[in-house]
Amino acid sequence: MAAHRRSGNVKTWRMLAACAATMLVAGAAWAHHSFAAFFDPDRMVTVTGKVTRFAFTNPHGMIVLVGRAGKEPEQEWRAETNAPVVLLRRGWTRDIIKPGETVTIEGWPARDGKPYLRLRRALRADGSPIGVPFGQGDS
Amino acid sequence: MVRMREVLMTAAAAVFLSAAPAAAWAPAPAAAATPAPSVDLSGFWAPAMGSSPDPALVARLPPNTAILSDSGFIEFPQGEYGGLKPKPGALAAARAWKPEDEMTVSRTCAAPSIVYAMQGPFPFEIYQTPELIVFKYEYFDMVRLIFMDGRPHPPADAPHSKTGHSVGRWEGNELVIDTTHLSPATITNNGLDHSAQIHLVERYKLSSDGKALMATQWFEDPEALENNGARYMQWTAKPGQYVYPYDCDPSFAVNYGKGE
Repeated sequence: MAAHRRSGNVKTWRMLAACAATMLVAGAAWAHHSFAAFFDPDRMVTVTGKVTRFAFTNPHGMIVLVGRAGKEPEQEWRAETNAPVVLLRRGWTRDIIKPGETVTIEGWPARDGKPYLRLRRALRADGSPIGVPFGQGDS
Repeated sequence: MVRMREVLMTAAAAVFLSAAPAAAWAPAPAAAATPAPSVDLSGFWAPAMGSSPDPALVARLPPNTAILSDSGFIEFPQGEYGGLKPKPGALAAARAWKPEDEMTVSRTCAAPSIVYAMQGPFPFEIYQTPELIVFKYEYFDMVRLIFMDGRPHPPADAPHSKTGHSVGRWEGNELVIDTTHLSPATITNNGLDHSAQIHLVERYKLSSDGKALMATQWFEDPEALENNGARYMQWTAKPGQYVYPYDCDPSFAVNYGKGE
């Protein structure tokens, strides 16, 4: 690659940075599979229910629970988390959520309408956050 | 220290194995290697999201280069390629791509190449010697060997991989890495793939206080792209930390299918 000056690059970068800021979905987007293709970044779903399974393996952790989203009938929901290697640095552990526990999950729903979402945050029954929410001390 | 020794021994073994079958790209005489500078890039580097690009590094990018704005957590939606101009074949493949195809047991743990992998929100470690630099990524447990001994790339028909074949040189205090022999894989994680012809050039340097590592990743792919692409990336030094094992579990993909 030959060294070459492109004075327009810095300006371009500023514009791109501004655009990127509007596209940023804090802490959620990057995945081995495309967040943007799978999930609706303009919608948010909140489900409260009882956990039936929690897996903490890469590329994504998985919370399975039976609960309701608003006034919808009770059904089984699945929420994929950020990669556990990322969550480990945010206070998560492989047993931070236990089957039988009641939790509230909030996230971006799958575009195809399945009861499947990308987790933004999870709360315990008393409202306390599970792990350190993104946006607080992000590196 | 013990961990570093383990990594370098593993790397040394890989060097031997990769060099053995192709005498044509055996290590060149030491005189061909560029002198190592006083700068030391060794350490644990955590991604620094939202960093302002280093103007000097960006200014070195060649013309006809689209600078992608998807470093870190950002991803492009389907049909958005950040200014890259795919050739007809690559564009047709990108348009035919369906995201659900990636959610299978056979695909979910298929690592991308370093073209896409290195810009994500995962840390990596650098181990540096005058003859060899090792990049150990957390993402998909990928390990790169950057040969600093002056050897050339292997013949064009040598095996390709997701990490490719990398040779490095120092230009002042900047590490320049030239990589070929990358297996086809995604560029933007939304259907646009690079070919086996992609050629990658990275340029790394430390900030003046040594606490930040800054880099540009530039690539050309005459088979897949009409123009060239680049990304800017930055990491923060986190002494004492280390990368965790990724150990990808393909059973994750089964969950999506169950959400009927």
